[in-house]
Amino acid sequence: MAVRWSRWSPQLALTPALVVTLVAFAGSIAWTIWMSFTRSRRFPDYAIDAVRPFRQYERLWHDDIFTNSLWHMLVLGIGSLLAIVFGFILAAMIDREKRGEGIFRTVFLYPLAVSLIVSGLVWRWMFNPTLGVQHFFADIGLPWIHFDWLNYPQTAMYGIILATVWQGSGFYMALMLSGLKSINSEIWSAARLDGVRFWRLYIEIIIPMMKFTFLTCAILLSLGVVKAYDIVFAMTNGGPGQSTWVPAYYTIDAYWQKANLGLASAAAVVMLAITLIIFLPLVLITAWQQRRVEARIQ
Amino acid sequence: MTSIAENALRDTAFDGPVAFPARKKRIKPQQIAILVFLAICALFFCVPLYVIIVTSLKSMDQIRQGDVFALPWNWDFGAWWQAWDKACSGTRCAGVKVGFLNSLEILAPSLVLSIGLSCVTGYALALWKVKWASSFLFVLFMCAFVPFQIIMVPLILITGFLHVYGTVWGIAVVHAALAMPILTLIFRNYYKGIPTEIMSAAMLDSGSFWRVFVEIILPMSGNIMIVVLILQITSIWNDFLVGLTYGGIGTQPMTVILANVVITATGEASYNVDMAAALLTAVPPLVIYFLLGRFFVQGITAGAIKG
Repeated sequence: MAVRWSRWSPQLALTPALVVTLVAFAGSIAWTIWMSFTRSRRFPDYAIDAVRPFRQYERLWHDDIFTNSLWHMLVLGIGSLLAIVFGFILAAMIDREKRGEGIFRTVFLYPLAVSLIVSGLVWRWMFNPTLGVQHFFADIGLPWIHFDWLNYPQTAMYGIILATVWQGSGFYMALMLSGLKSINSEIWSAARLDGVRFWRLYIEIIIPMMKFTFLTCAILLSLGVVKAYDIVFAMTNGGPGQSTWVPAYYTIDAYWQKANLGLASAAAVVMLAITLIIFLPLVLITAWQQRRVEARIQ
Repeated sequence: MTSIAENALRDTAFDGPVAFPARKKRIKPQQIAILVFLAICALFFCVPLYVIIVTSLKSMDQIRQGDVFALPWNWDFGAWWQAWDKACSGTRCAGVKVGFLNSLEILAPSLVLSIGLSCVTGYALALWKVKWASSFLFVLFMCAFVPFQIIMVPLILITGFLHVYGTVWGIAVVHAALAMPILTLIFRNYYKGIPTEIMSAAMLDSGSFWRVFVEIILPMSGNIMIVVLILQITSIWNDFLVGLTYGGIGTQPMTVILANVVITATGEASYNVDMAAALLTAVPPLVIYFLLGRFFVQGITAGAIKG
């Protein structure tokens, strides 16, 4: 009896996790997809819109605010790539010059421990047009340097990008550093013997060797960009106008402010679709890498 | 007397690894350039922290002068006290301490639920033969990346159905559900590394799922527990959306109170109080980070991706 009981208990122990997966993830996603085909307002209305089931998606497509928010997300994503570049440069420098590694790592990573709301508020304060860094530049005789980006629709997104890069570089530095440390040390000495210039070594050998690390970083970054909400909320609250709206912000706004569950659901489904598009290469790469590792073992 | 001598000996013996043989070469210019570059970057990273600290210690009179980088004229912790005890969030003027206490109240059940759930799941998936384990792991891997917005409204309904919406338990349930995929993967990867000999010996000894877990596996998971604990404490403390969506008026976490204090405040903004409130919100995770940085880094890199 004891044996049978113990054989069942792993399955029993997995039940809560299974329920969470089925209800909180799979079921909830299905529910939201269903909702996106209805005309629900504040409260769910389970009748699918028979006349125009894609009404909400059409609305999104014709809503400039939403299409613009997709565009803003793209700008944010491309701008945030700087965090990967910056992270790699930092990691390469730290890896080359071992002195002070601990201190530098601690300093570069601390923004990650801080809430995005807090860092957003700090950056918002520094971007303050009258009392912030702008004023400092004017004081030291550089009045042509503008640091009031958040006040103008054209530049507000760059302010958010700056804060995102500040927050995220350390994280990519940590990933890159572990990638760099796994590179065979013989490469370094071989390169030194051959007298290869160090930037050529990086561009022609090290970066191609680390392409998977780079790709992983890029995918993680894009997934993070799709989810970006806190930093936008804290820095600009979407403004000025709607110049820093991103889909995550649009979805929340559609539900809480517009009280339009159908529209919010459709926007959330678009977010999920974007996530899947980004996510698919990651799955393929992991599968491919695994096969390569297995092939090497055989 | 002997103890002093012993201590002295111990000091010399344990004073780090054997000293490196002194380098005879001087530092090359290239190395200096790298160090200078890194130092400049480090300064850039420290600027916001510096600004938040000095601003919170200034008087509003000095802030109106407009030099954001200047040191405070006189170090005044009044703004801190104001932010902690009196700052207004909405109509309630009791400072961010309300949020601090709420966050603590949220933290306890959230940690218990999320770590308990994923620890047991990871153990079952790693060390017991479950037929559908690999496909379940893949599903979990996918779930880890699902954007929160698509499950936000159904989770409101579910927590409402469970009669926990608007309470700390509602927030805890949602935190546990959201963190379950990634934490399970972390625990599973860790338990997968346990030598099979230990497991087979344990199976011979008792063979009971729960006894093996409590008597053998849990005592072995101290390291991963600290990593996960720190990961969860910082992410729950820093969370904004879950607390905003599932918290009632009386259960808003500190980040939400902070946002209310700063963003939705009316009247003339007192930036020193705002920055003090932000700093107070940032202090707990920062303290954890500076004390236990190694575990923090392990947590975020493991949490990032290890499928």
